[in-house]
Amino acid sequence: MGYVAGVAALDDAGIDFPEVGALYNGYIGGGITAGVHLAKELGLTGLPVTHVENASATGSSAFGEAVHAVAGGRVDVAMALGFDDMNRMGGLGRSGRGGLGAEDVMLPAAFFAMWATRRMHEVGTTVETFAAIAAKNWNHARQNPMAQRRADHEMTVEEVLASTMISYPHTSTMACAAGGGGAAAVVASEDVARRLGGPMIEVVASQQRSETYTDGHVFLGAVIGPAQMTRDTAADAYEQAGLGPRDLDLVQVHDAFPIEELVYYELLGICGDGEGDKLVVTGETSLGGRIPFSTDGGLTARGHPGGPTGLAQIHETVLQLRGGAGPRQVEEARTGLCHMAGAGSVCVVHILQRA
Amino acid sequence: MPATDPHLFRLPVEGEDRPRLLGSYAPRSDLHFWPRRKRCPVTRTPVQDVELGPIGSLYAWTFLHVPRMGKVSFGDAGGYAVGQVDLPEGVRVQAPLMGSQQDWSIGDEMGLTLFPVGTDDDGHELVTFRFEVVR
Repeated sequence: MGYVAGVAALDDAGIDFPEVGALYNGYIGGGITAGVHLAKELGLTGLPVTHVENASATGSSAFGEAVHAVAGGRVDVAMALGFDDMNRMGGLGRSGRGGLGAEDVMLPAAFFAMWATRRMHEVGTTVETFAAIAAKNWNHARQNPMAQRRADHEMTVEEVLASTMISYPHTSTMACAAGGGGAAAVVASEDVARRLGGPMIEVVASQQRSETYTDGHVFLGAVIGPAQMTRDTAADAYEQAGLGPRDLDLVQVHDAFPIEELVYYELLGICGDGEGDKLVVTGETSLGGRIPFSTDGGLTARGHPGGPTGLAQIHETVLQLRGGAGPRQVEEARTGLCHMAGAGSVCVVHILQRA
Repeated sequence: MPATDPHLFRLPVEGEDRPRLLGSYAPRSDLHFWPRRKRCPVTRTPVQDVELGPIGSLYAWTFLHVPRMGKVSFGDAGGYAVGQVDLPEGVRVQAPLMGSQQDWSIGDEMGLTLFPVGTDDDGHELVTFRFEVVR
């Protein structure tokens, strides 16, 4: 899958592998040499090959490394390549006690479900709102031939709520689709991009942060750290791009569970704190709405294969900004934001803009 | 009765009815942490080993509809609960909860207790920690 994605990205860019000056492989579950071996399949050119891993944000971090390699002048062309199969990976626990340690009991589904019950307590969010976000993303994926989950009918709130409960209030159709996949992106300097021709998509912001201390900081068992991490990373990205949330036309986020997408509406500044529920009710984050989120189905339905996930967001955003997203095209799309959070935890935000 | 994670908590000693979580206190920042830190993550100054109070307040919870937690089977219970509990020192702890979801509400007083999770290679009962509603 990584090879297929890599060749597809090279073909799309119109370059051959020897022109790539640096390769950043993003994978979580592969062996320690998996990235170097994949590079051999693409060509023995002697280029530097680096393994990047940041849990769910692995692909986003690999893309960020490629961007910084080009922006910093190290190379004229860099490639980020993600490949993985989440079904073959172990859990997040580090105890090594055969499933008995304190970190082994806190599955990601449970962690994000606690975000949800706290939100219900503080803001009054309903399970129907969570289900509406999931149904929206399932229905976005119906327009995406590369999505892992493609329903043959319009998904409804009732159907999402009726699926198997896994961790209250999250049902199985609210949980992201864990599977296998590959995704790749080629990043080039402006001079190279002009020579290659075609529509240019500029990376106007590339930011990554880890946690800072906040009240109630959870050190053991937290999958994703304080909300402030996403708020700070987004603020850095907006400042670098010279843009604000009102300038965005579409957004991809780490919607492993609908509570995440809901809070990211607020943390990315799309609406005020506690106002995210209204966006769902009014359909503003659906295709055709004011600011569509997870336009390809998101982690919920397009899928979450691990290393490729963040790069799939880049693929979707580039496709949208080029105007090539077919039936899920966001009209007049010029600027898109990609957000990923990685367990541990880290946050990565990129803003892409049609030049 | 060995603890699964002796660096995280200790068993009750004589005169105590609950186990204790093992944390750190940073005098410079006046902050407590759990688990123990090598130094204060805020001020990078030295920390002291402390034991944290065993009673707190429920901040968030969920109930997992899965039949097992590691090697522990829940049989007919249908799953197990986990929660985040705020301790008086300002520390938030994630741990399993005892009972089912009708047993608690956010804000309820919760107490640290022991939880048998199997046996070690010598046949001794292993215990970890969880929280229960204090009535």
